Amino acid sequence: MTDLLRRLVRTPQGAIGLLLLLVLAAVCLFGPWLAPQDPEKIDFLGRFRPAGAENWFGADQLGRDVLSRLLVGARSTIPMALAATLLGTVIGSVVGTASAYLGGRWDEAIMRTIDAVMAVPGLLLALLLVSTLGNGATNAMVAIAVAFAPGMARVTRSVALNVRNQDYVKAAIVRGERGSWIVFREMLPNVMAPVVIETTIRVSFAVMLFATLSFLGLGAQPPASEWGLMVADARQYVHQAPWILIAPSIAIAVTAIAFNLLGDGLRDAMNPRNER
Amino acid sequence: MSLSWILRRLLLIVYTVFVVSVLVFGITQVLPADAAVTLLGENATADALAAIRDRLGLGDPIWMQYLRWVGHAVTGDFGLSMRTGQPVGPEMVAALGRSLLLAFAAIALMLVVAVPLGVVAAVRQGKLADTLTSLVSYLGVAFPEFVTATLFAMLLADTLQWLPATGYVSPFEDPWGAVRHLALPVLTASVILVAHVSRMVRSETLDVLHSDYVRAARLKGLPERTVLTRHALRNALLPVVTIVALDVGYLLGGIIVIEEIFAIPGIGRQLMVAITARDLPSIQAGALIMSATYAVANTLADVAYAFLDKRIRYD
Amino acid sequence: MIPVTRRLFLSGTAAAVCALSSGTVLLGPASSALAQTAAPKRGGVLRISVDQAASVIHPLRTRVNPEYLVAELLYSGLTRLGPEMTAEPDLAESWSPDASLTEWTFTLRPGLTFHDGSPCTAKDVVATFTAILDPKTASPARTNVGPIKEVVARDDRTVLIRLQSPFADLPVTLAYTNARIIPAAVIEGDLDSLSRTAIGTGPFKLVSFEPDRKIVVERNPAYYDPARPYVDRVEVLVYPDRTAEASALISGDTDLMMATAPGEFQRLGKASGVKALRVPSGQFLNVNMGCDQKPFSDVRVRKALALTIDRDAMVGFVAGGYGTPGNDSPVSPAYHFHKEMPLRKADVAQAKKLLAEAGYPNGVDLTLIASDKPGTRTDLAVAIREMAKAAGFRIQVQTMPHATYLDQVWKKGNFYVGFYNMQATADAIFSLLYTSDAAWNETRWNNTAFDALVAEARTKTDEAERQALYAKAQQLMHEEIPSVIPVFFDLLAAQRTYVQGYGLHPRGSVFRLDFVSLGADAPKRG
Repeated sequence: MTDLLRRLVRTPQGAIGLLLLLVLAAVCLFGPWLAPQDPEKIDFLGRFRPAGAENWFGADQLGRDVLSRLLVGARSTIPMALAATLLGTVIGSVVGTASAYLGGRWDEAIMRTIDAVMAVPGLLLALLLVSTLGNGATNAMVAIAVAFAPGMARVTRSVALNVRNQDYVKAAIVRGERGSWIVFREMLPNVMAPVVIETTIRVSFAVMLFATLSFLGLGAQPPASEWGLMVADARQYVHQAPWILIAPSIAIAVTAIAFNLLGDGLRDAMNPRNER
Repeated sequence: MSLSWILRRLLLIVYTVFVVSVLVFGITQVLPADAAVTLLGENATADALAAIRDRLGLGDPIWMQYLRWVGHAVTGDFGLSMRTGQPVGPEMVAALGRSLLLAFAAIALMLVVAVPLGVVAAVRQGKLADTLTSLVSYLGVAFPEFVTATLFAMLLADTLQWLPATGYVSPFEDPWGAVRHLALPVLTASVILVAHVSRMVRSETLDVLHSDYVRAARLKGLPERTVLTRHALRNALLPVVTIVALDVGYLLGGIIVIEEIFAIPGIGRQLMVAITARDLPSIQAGALIMSATYAVANTLADVAYAFLDKRIRYD
Repeated sequence: MIPVTRRLFLSGTAAAVCALSSGTVLLGPASSALAQTAAPKRGGVLRISVDQAASVIHPLRTRVNPEYLVAELLYSGLTRLGPEMTAEPDLAESWSPDASLTEWTFTLRPGLTFHDGSPCTAKDVVATFTAILDPKTASPARTNVGPIKEVVARDDRTVLIRLQSPFADLPVTLAYTNARIIPAAVIEGDLDSLSRTAIGTGPFKLVSFEPDRKIVVERNPAYYDPARPYVDRVEVLVYPDRTAEASALISGDTDLMMATAPGEFQRLGKASGVKALRVPSGQFLNVNMGCDQKPFSDVRVRKALALTIDRDAMVGFVAGGYGTPGNDSPVSPAYHFHKEMPLRKADVAQAKKLLAEAGYPNGVDLTLIASDKPGTRTDLAVAIREMAKAAGFRIQVQTMPHATYLDQVWKKGNFYVGFYNMQATADAIFSLLYTSDAAWNETRWNNTAFDALVAEARTKTDEAERQALYAKAQQLMHEEIPSVIPVFFDLLAAQRTYVQGYGLHPRGSVFRLDFVSLGADAPKRG
């Protein structure tokens, strides 16, 4: 594990991604204490105040401090995206592994059905699910998880099938290694690697999908300071006060970039073969 | 590429459409707050609600509604919109046409930009061009469409006033107007595509450049330019076909937001409107048509791939 | 024509003297004031943008402003609403009540025809009102056209309307957005067909209807006024995004915006060739309190909440400064019978004291519900939460989709944000929301003294008497606060400078585009 971390940090993507994520994690954990002002405090004279000494990132239509809202809003944005991806990965992995394990016709039927479900574009599936479950952050999270599951199932299944047939696994069996040693030292890391990479990159999609759902009015509900919602609210004032829109947009982008970089870094670190 | 393989693919499309129809119909059945309520809004009295529900035929058992719907849908009749009273099928097909126009334009723009970008980045691996390309691709996939759309509109429509901010003009009525009105949405839609595909092209090209047969070609003493165009590019670009097909799925999802912002009456916006209004026939027709389109695009990509690459065996 | 005073006209009962001889060019007194040039230029295409789809064009079932606009272009009522909230002749050229105000006689213009060429007679008027009053039609007009008992055709051009109780405002009330006259033949045949086609008597005929994109109408050559409409064609364009809608006007893609938001208003005002329009209105946001349930059954709690609000600041927070502060009565200064009262000042100490007296010395926990449309509802809720904090109100704001809100909270909830358009008369807004028998009695205030005042005003024609009664009613609302009304919105819109004869109507759902013409410098289209 420490070995992996060392290799990860050695890739530029991995190092930058990890650094950004540490900052974001700190914001998620300590956001409310880091916030210079009460994120809900309205200020009549401060409406649409541009960035400056009083409000570093400016103030919004109610005179609320944009930076403080961003810092506090990280909590209702990033953990939701993470949770959605993890839930989707768990569902997908179970289905994918089960399909690989069952094999034959069952495998065929499950995979064809998954292909069919994947024909529904992710955002559309999420939209339909959220409308059914009711608007709100938790439901949006569940909808994203369900929308991600088929893709994860495909990845897990193909990896599981592959690994079982790999020479090094066969060789280990021939060598007479213990079953648990084979599973944990040979198979699992190789099954895990692509899944972990896929999951990491998908978090950045989840961040954007979640923000998009909130933007369309189906995800987090006002007055929450979820970032996608902040962008949606700010759109109508874009000519008056562009900073209310730009600050949360950049926050979303930084988060997405961080997870993308980490995913790429992990890919390189876990696949020394690919180093070039 | 045998006949049975193609038949199998066609059967898969049918199966896909069947699964999606069950999925979509099931979801629309459990949608809370029915169309009658949304239609009447604040004027919904019990009498009025009953009258509207009666008119919309919301009373029958679900399986009967499903069979009736499927029966009509195969003939292209998706019923009347609960919101507008207009036939849904023709409306959605017309909307799909506008969306496809947007999608094809975005893919064309993407190919023109992303492929050269990816190839150059791979050939000049580690150099400035490569770094810049990967920077662009990281930024490109990191901004959701609603952000890029807003920023582009702010810059190109409001500040510079080069392009109209929104709206849709039919290319049959006014070709130049159509191009101008499509420019911003196409630009927005292609950003993520360019970012995604240029990365893919780069890594595929790298794979091929490090492959044995390219090394062999170099060892034979062929000039680098010939190696690149004759051997490397052809093989590197093959997987791009598949990627583009996959991106159609992304595109069809992404255009929901893009059409919403730029007021393009395509299938994405129609679906969004239908979902907000709980207009079940429109949701069903829209979701089914959109998914079927994606399934067909995927199949076409597979066929194209098989056709281009005769070495691949399909059994 | 017999000269009429403005006052009389405003009361809505004056039309008895407003008999117009046939053959006269029919220009209402207000409309002639509106037209800027003596002879408006004929011809041209007017493009008006709206911010949401006009999905329902069935004139009896329209619900939102873009739909009202389309219905107004295609159909006529018995009367229509003038810029000063008075009744003007539309299909009816004159009307008069009996002494008891319970029986009204309306005389139709001669030679009226529908778009399909068939004549429009008293028979069609009777059939239309019968359809409106039938619950199965599901027309919002049913509860908004006044206490109609029956409508009878005396001859082809004379309609008799009998009421359940005396009602002085009937002519204004009949100008209601959904009370449009449609052919009796359609009502007997396929009433729903009007969702797809249009057969009216309006100034324009339907050319094409794409609800989410574009609705096109063209001049009706058989319109009862040969002079109007001035433009040949009107295109109603749907722009779901308000920023984009404003950009379209600035770039000259459109000529007129139906409405805009405060965020865009400044930009529009600065753009060249664009005239920003603004009119004070009675459109308001309020906080409804269930007066029949704790804690709001105690008037001291309601008063305490009202006392926490800085109303001038609220105009800034939710209306972007484009509005007037409210005084907890829905009759804004834009209404005819508005009564001036000193504005309630924020007084947190007094609010705290009242709350303690009511039995909440440690404050009170509440959930304030706001629907997501329009977004200003949440802005108001958040601002109130912050303002009321100091007095001990611990408010949680919950936003929900509009459909869910209508289904579960509206009229049922105990504490939520409401949003209403200006109505034509004080009576209309009172009997829509605040009397015990109101169509939408959401506060369950059920104040008999208030009911009596409103009912009495309905039976009076004397201006001063009515003024006094409505003043008392407003005073009562100000003291009892069934709902906190902190702010009235100004209506905002914009037009290209070459658009002539357009006046922004405070009601918000009246447009009068048949009076609009295009100046010489307008772009040539189609």
